[in-house]
Amino acid sequence: MTPPSDAETTSGTTQNASFGGMQARSAVALNETARVTVRNLDFYYGANKALKGINFLLPEKQVTGMIGPSGCGKSTLLRVLNRMYSLYPGQRAEGEVLMDGENIIADGVDMNALRAKIGMVFQKPTPFPMSIYDNIAFGIRLHEKLNKAQMDERIEWALSRAAIWGEVKDRLNSSAMGLSGGQQQRLCIARTIAVRPEVILFDEPTSALDPISTLKIEELIDELKRDFTIAIVTHNMQQAARCADQVAFFYLGELIEVAPAGQLFTAPKHPKTQEYITGRFG
Amino acid sequence: MQQAATLPLGAPMDAKPHRTASPGRFGDTVFSAACHAAGGFVLLLLGGIIVELFIGGLPAFRAFGLPFIWSTEWDPVTEVFGAGVSIYGTIVTAVLAILLAVPVAFGVAFYLTELSPPWLRRPVGTAVELLAAVPSIIYGMWGFFLIAPIMGQYVQPAVIDTIGELPLIGELFQGPPFGTGIFTAALILAIMILPFIAATMRDVFEQVPPVFKESAYGLGCTTWEVMRGVVLPYTRISVVGGIMLGLGRALGETMAVTFVIGNANRISTSLFGPGNTIASVVALEFGESEMGSLKLSALLALGFILFVLSFIVLAASRFLLRSRLKA
Repeated sequence: MTPPSDAETTSGTTQNASFGGMQARSAVALNETARVTVRNLDFYYGANKALKGINFLLPEKQVTGMIGPSGCGKSTLLRVLNRMYSLYPGQRAEGEVLMDGENIIADGVDMNALRAKIGMVFQKPTPFPMSIYDNIAFGIRLHEKLNKAQMDERIEWALSRAAIWGEVKDRLNSSAMGLSGGQQQRLCIARTIAVRPEVILFDEPTSALDPISTLKIEELIDELKRDFTIAIVTHNMQQAARCADQVAFFYLGELIEVAPAGQLFTAPKHPKTQEYITGRFG
Repeated sequence: MQQAATLPLGAPMDAKPHRTASPGRFGDTVFSAACHAAGGFVLLLLGGIIVELFIGGLPAFRAFGLPFIWSTEWDPVTEVFGAGVSIYGTIVTAVLAILLAVPVAFGVAFYLTELSPPWLRRPVGTAVELLAAVPSIIYGMWGFFLIAPIMGQYVQPAVIDTIGELPLIGELFQGPPFGTGIFTAALILAIMILPFIAATMRDVFEQVPPVFKESAYGLGCTTWEVMRGVVLPYTRISVVGGIMLGLGRALGETMAVTFVIGNANRISTSLFGPGNTIASVVALEFGESEMGSLKLSALLALGFILFVLSFIVLAASRFLLRSRLKA
């Protein structure tokens, strides 16, 4: 177990503020250091403008929840952060997304290296059609040359961090397709962290899972923020309240409000946010 | 009183629906019988062909027994026949054609699904499909008048002088550069089956869910790594099915092969040497066979063997592609 970092000590004291039966985190616990900074970001699907002038930041080693009704641009923003949109012609982003002083949406950025630094977990579990071991080793082999012992060690580390080691350690060589949905999703998380990214993006990671698996993933996210900066898109406000330190509310391509979770859920500043979290639309 | 005028019905509610042209029970029976007959006809046809071929070939099978399959003798004068040379030629040309066609077909499919700009996808994809529509006699003439001379004048002499000098593997590339021969036939076959394999591969690659590719890209894969690490493992069974489909076509191809294979009844170690295939032997010699002769029977027996070969390969292909065909 790694010793708690600075971020942990600042955010670790989770005094809970109650909000409509949800337990939201305290408003005072946000880390000041920005890992990723988004400035004046516009995004286009062809001629259609999907994100309008987004400004916000991901605090280092904290969880940022992104909420909002369908089509509000929260998943789009996630796909900007790891340049996934660049796979598709006709999609483009304008503005700045700064990480380590570099604008990662500029032309000429090494996208393979970027995606190793910013990992992503998808809505549906996507194990590759190979063994559990190879699923994890696949990503590692792309970026590093490890010998057998180092590889085994790394795979055990990744699977342990994703809280699935105990369930799969005796069948590492069987196909990953045979795992349950929740196990597959944790395997995908292990695959992502095995590359040792700095930021992990979760795109509705539990919407295809049962409640027990959902709970496990949420606990995992809480545990992972000790080492990683996390952004999670979710349709589930309780989930945002449970997991996130900071919550951003999007509506029709605009960032309406971003605030520490406790504050956003208990005392939203914007009337739209108020309406959304009280369930009047969306 | 409120009238039914608001309803879109012209007739009062209790009127019976009236059909002006009813086929009646008799029409139904006829139609059903016709469809059953059409369906059954296909099975009957397939069975009929194979039974007919077998009965026609029976005298040859009786005369030469099982060794007919590997005997390399083919002498119409003494009436001794064996299928060895043509079976060898058929299999070698088809397998060689697969070896030549698969890498190119993979490149075409990879380009079409991952690399090409979207506006070019349709034209190139259509061109690939149109290649399949070129009649095989055209490939035969083109092969004979263009490819064979080029092979004979430039390619074969160069290969014979270089690779042909090597030990072991050189054996395959020796002899006089005729231009025609097993290798040229395989080359033409490769071009002919390329569109089938490329189109199948493209279709199965396109069926890989985007989210799988995205998760591989999300780990930092290059396009090639996504292809090799995710798309190919995901589609490998269907890809093999597509290759079998091409193999099935290559086994039975007749005219183009007859033009360029050299038509000699011998097995030469060199791939540049002439040979024949089951289909080319039948095409060339069928016209010169008398009714009821042992030679005709031997040709029918060859046809039966080819039928069984193609049937097995195509059946395997359909089995491997079943998930794709269902979708």
